[in-house]
Amino acid sequence: MANMTNLYDSSKCTACRACQVACKNWNQLPAVIEHFTGNYQTKESTDGDTYTIVKMTEYEHPVDGIQWKFAKFQCMHCLDPECMKACPRGAYSKTETGATNHDPAKCIGCQYCTNVCPFEVPKYRKREDKITKCTLCADRTAAGLKPACVTTCAPGALEYGEREDLLAKAAERVKYLQMNGFPNATIYGRTELGGLNKIYILTDSPDKFGLPVNPQPYGQVNFWQNWVQPYFGWLIPLALAGSAVSFVTTRMLANKHTAHDAEHGEGVSE
Amino acid sequence: MTNHMIDLKNTNCALIMGSNMAENHPIGMKWLTRARLDPKRKAKIISVDPRFTRTSAIADIYCPMRSGTDIAFLGGMIKYILDNNLWHKDYVVNYTNAAFLVSNAFDFKDGLFSGYDEAKKAYKTDTWDFQYDSSGKIMEDPTLQNPRCVFQLMKKHYERYDIDTVCKITGSPKGKYLEVLKTFCATGAPDKTGCINYAMGITQHTVGSQNIKAFAIVQLLLGNIGRPGGGINALRGENNVQGATDMALLYHNLPGYIDSPSNIDAYKDLISYIRKTTPGAAKLNFTNLAEFRELVKAGIPYSGWKANTSKWIVSMLKAWWGNAAKPDNDFAYHYLPKRNDTKNYSHIAIFEAMYKGEIDGLFINGSNPVVGGPNANKEQDAMTKLKWLVSLDLWLNESAEFWSYPAWERAVKNDKVPHHTPKDIQTEVFFLPAAAVYEKEGTAAQTGRWVQYRWKGADPVGESKADLWIINEIGKRVKKLYAGSTRPEDEPIVNLTWDYDNPHDKEEPDIMKIANELCGFTPADNKPVEGFAKLMDDGSTACGCWIYCGCTTWKDGKMVYKAQNRKKDDPGGLGLFPNWAWCWPVNRRIIYNRCSVQPDGVTPWPGDDDRRLVYWDPTKPADTTKPDVLGTWAGFDVPDFIKTTGPDKPAFKDPFIMRGDGKGALFGSQMPASSYKEGPFPEHYEPLESPTGPIINKVVVNPAAKIWEPEKIGKTDQYPIVATTYRVTEHWQTGALTRNLPWLAELVPDMFVEISEELAREKSIENGGEVIISTIRGDIKALACVTKRFKPFLINGKTVHQIGMLWQFGFKGYATGDIANRLTPHIGDANSMTPEYKAFLCDIRRA
Amino acid sequence: MEVTRRQFLKVTGAAAASFGLLDLGFDMTATAAAVKELRIKDVTPTPTVCPYCASGCGLVVYAEKKDGKFVKLLSVVGDPDNPINEGAACSKGSAMFNLREIYDEKGEQVINPKRVPKPLYRAAGSEKWEEKEWDWMLDEIAKRVKETRDKSFIHKEKIKLADGSEQEIIVNRTEKIASVGGSGLDNEEAYILSKMMRSLGVVYLETQARI
Repeated sequence: MANMTNLYDSSKCTACRACQVACKNWNQLPAVIEHFTGNYQTKESTDGDTYTIVKMTEYEHPVDGIQWKFAKFQCMHCLDPECMKACPRGAYSKTETGATNHDPAKCIGCQYCTNVCPFEVPKYRKREDKITKCTLCADRTAAGLKPACVTTCAPGALEYGEREDLLAKAAERVKYLQMNGFPNATIYGRTELGGLNKIYILTDSPDKFGLPVNPQPYGQVNFWQNWVQPYFGWLIPLALAGSAVSFVTTRMLANKHTAHDAEHGEGVSE
Repeated sequence: MTNHMIDLKNTNCALIMGSNMAENHPIGMKWLTRARLDPKRKAKIISVDPRFTRTSAIADIYCPMRSGTDIAFLGGMIKYILDNNLWHKDYVVNYTNAAFLVSNAFDFKDGLFSGYDEAKKAYKTDTWDFQYDSSGKIMEDPTLQNPRCVFQLMKKHYERYDIDTVCKITGSPKGKYLEVLKTFCATGAPDKTGCINYAMGITQHTVGSQNIKAFAIVQLLLGNIGRPGGGINALRGENNVQGATDMALLYHNLPGYIDSPSNIDAYKDLISYIRKTTPGAAKLNFTNLAEFRELVKAGIPYSGWKANTSKWIVSMLKAWWGNAAKPDNDFAYHYLPKRNDTKNYSHIAIFEAMYKGEIDGLFINGSNPVVGGPNANKEQDAMTKLKWLVSLDLWLNESAEFWSYPAWERAVKNDKVPHHTPKDIQTEVFFLPAAAVYEKEGTAAQTGRWVQYRWKGADPVGESKADLWIINEIGKRVKKLYAGSTRPEDEPIVNLTWDYDNPHDKEEPDIMKIANELCGFTPADNKPVEGFAKLMDDGSTACGCWIYCGCTTWKDGKMVYKAQNRKKDDPGGLGLFPNWAWCWPVNRRIIYNRCSVQPDGVTPWPGDDDRRLVYWDPTKPADTTKPDVLGTWAGFDVPDFIKTTGPDKPAFKDPFIMRGDGKGALFGSQMPASSYKEGPFPEHYEPLESPTGPIINKVVVNPAAKIWEPEKIGKTDQYPIVATTYRVTEHWQTGALTRNLPWLAELVPDMFVEISEELAREKSIENGGEVIISTIRGDIKALACVTKRFKPFLINGKTVHQIGMLWQFGFKGYATGDIANRLTPHIGDANSMTPEYKAFLCDIRRA
Repeated sequence: MEVTRRQFLKVTGAAAASFGLLDLGFDMTATAAAVKELRIKDVTPTPTVCPYCASGCGLVVYAEKKDGKFVKLLSVVGDPDNPINEGAACSKGSAMFNLREIYDEKGEQVINPKRVPKPLYRAAGSEKWEEKEWDWMLDEIAKRVKETRDKSFIHKEKIKLADGSEQEIIVNRTEKIASVGGSGLDNEEAYILSKMMRSLGVVYLETQARI
């Protein structure tokens, strides 16, 4: 069955952030109010109650002058997701239509996925002790609707469809952009990490948008899968007892702390 | 908007100036994106703004411009069009007043037009007129060669606006400015159209009206008015500000843009009023309506469609005072309040009067002057002098709580700024909780004049009530207090028609009853009048607001409100959607649409076949009941023309039917009555608070602007930095309706000020750090947003910094911050008294 | 709701599956558990128009009803039928749900606590609001209006005519009452407000169009 995905065209996005609100509206998510730190974007990344944000990056081009680049940012629904490989409880799965699905019923809030994700997208939701992230609006798409972010997008920067079709469309659009003032225009998500199930049309290189140029899986994943995962049952209590200052547990505890702070409006993302 | 939102898809080029459309009217970008992707249009988007915005980010061209220099920018554009022969010749010669000869007494010298009275700070406008022949006809030179014709005078006037001079004033980089000129002026080609989209960045200046007049000249020269993809598109900021204006919640109008009377001879009775408000009637002899009707029948020269004003005012009086409005009492015209003609009653004037203790009671309906009013420190102080305040809103906004302790907290101690505590404020406050938009029903007119119905989808929260219910109840109760009074001064209330209760549910008003009155009915049978052409001035029709006449109809034994139409046919594919909602006037989607076809009335503009909206059809009858009389205007849109005006009539080539002479006004003459207070051609003047002396003429500030507070004008020695205010997409107006919504508070949680990296370095300001911004009127605190998107300007050889801040914050809601309008001045545009929020002087420092 | 594989194929409109279940690690139980029931299923939306900028975007309100009575909001989104926005809504329009209801920090759906459920009165010199009944409020307001109007009313005024003579005319105005705002009102509301204010003789009448 075909992979269904979103195509995001940065040349059309105005960063109105309707997608960010529409996502909260549809997924019934509370606001997480943090203070302004000097960028319109406000949030550095996703959080336990924020599945999508719009990255806003300014830079000065030596010839073209000032540029302000926007990129919608959320779970990339990787074709070969690191989170799924890493999850000790099998909470992650790929749906038939290509979404990376996370089942909160199976999730134990261990947060390992938050560390192995090359985009650091899955986040911990303290109030439920669970991980959350973009679902590609599974309930909407199952009923024949488009994801909430796509439906609400005014300038038509988001489309929903079959991955192969969208890739073809993206290739055509990138070609046009390259000939019309954006020589560095590129597709993002076709090959990155073996392919993402969110396709981007970027008017410049990914770093101008705050996206990793060549995202890599964390090396620890293999270690985890082969060695740690089978012994998960005893590792966690051990770690909590402070026997080993492991990468996993320190990050995990830090997250629990951060999520708690964020709920009180003081939190800072990493 | 002369055009409408969807019509943006038909454009070849959009000049977005004085608007940050992507942020403040985001849906417009849907249609501009379509125009850009449409291979037939390949539209370009131009953003002109002091700072690089989210609109600039998506535009093809971004050109910076110092706040308050729009006329210089546009004056240079007018010169460029004329110098390079880019104007649309057939259009200009036929559809504008370019060929009209101007009175020899008209002159312009040293920045002043003829007729200036230094003592009164005002113009006598009698020289701003045309030359007439012995029959009273305006003299013309269609070759446009006569040195006294409008075209030549205009050319002369803008001779001074060369590119170097313009860029010295605006601070725009020359290359970018040229790119804008080249790209937008290319729409002067007959097969191209371009639109100008503007908002408060244009109007909120001492020269706001003249800024728009400059747009009008550009668009008339390029032939861009009355055609799909063209227009001067005012992007209005509140969901029904169009409707509130139509209903004349403004002191100077009655519903439907007819004059509100004042205490002068010319308004003293109904006949005087009609003489004053009907163009061309001043010179005619008549003493009663019957005589006047005969004159109208015979035709009043240069009166245009406004020859019908008598029908509009009489029908309105009939709607308001019913049986008490009779032919023998001037239809109760004397009930209408007459303003003191020497006084101004606009927003600034209200708060100046309040400040002096002249006003006892104030109603605030869904407005928030403590945040949104100019010179907000003063406006808040003024409110303390009120005896009573009635506030209708969903939330306890800053104005409803102007008396509270947090309302008087200030960023820094400043003895010049007033301070109060609740105990010393003797104002009684009545807060009436209002229902939200989808908790009630009614219609709203959007920016393209489409009147759409909103159905009720939820119950009001708690005991909150629809405004309709609240206003109806106040009206009922006031009427009850006056019931039985025989005092003549109480007649306007005693006799006011106010029967809006729902017959089935006395507790709720019946919206259809109001719709019927508002849109017009025949008192004889209470049925709708089908269009304003059928309104009468003999009392046989009643209509609250003539421009809405035709929005109701009678079908299958009941009234139909066309605002409820939801059919989606789009003949012509131009996005007109004639059966979606209803649009005033008479469901016309693009006004002045006669201009979309060549002067012969039949031929589309060369190469522009698919954008012809209307045409003259000599083979069909205009009136189906008179099938023998052939010849009518037809097309995809409702023609903005009298249907039967064919090639045999002199007015056949006069597309601007609301103007007496039927022509687009390149020269703003004193005829018809309305004219600009500071001259027939827009001239650049600096904002009240300016970082520079005069550059293009000898006058600094708009010579006709009223200075309210001469002692409160900031100077560059103390306040060297230009400041402006604006909004972000995530918040709306004063923020009352968005800072109380957690999802929006989350997106923009704090008040911030945008500063260039250069200025930040100079002042040691860090990104995200706290700063204090001061003007002569007060100080506020904000967080710094240090950005590459603001750059210092080079003005007349000197570096001038500009900063910009959100005016959407206050001390209430989930997202709070200081009120930017504590910094802005009390001065308005010379014509409209719209405050100059957009350009003033300040200083900034680390907190 | 049990989501079956058949439903999945049907709604996504995809061609017949070319991979076996195992190839993609497709786990039906996991998907079914994760996919919530569509909460607006079979709910008829009510069309309205956005209350923010004047573009006139259509919105639709989905509400839960019981025995024909409104219970709570389910969602407010762009109206797909409205030709102006074709279902789109900007960040403000997309937040319309919050105008009435919000999700609190526990994720519970509650009435927006900033909404005011009852009329409030603040007495002269007072530091606080008091809750009042509608009847009391409206009667008191009507009394203030009458008192202020009567005390300040200018019924007639002598004016100068064009020929230099004087005449007394009826001017019917009060300059002691002002009204500002109303650009958020519906037309019908704005109309009766304009009419009422003018019948009272109010000349200090302004809406946001000016500012």
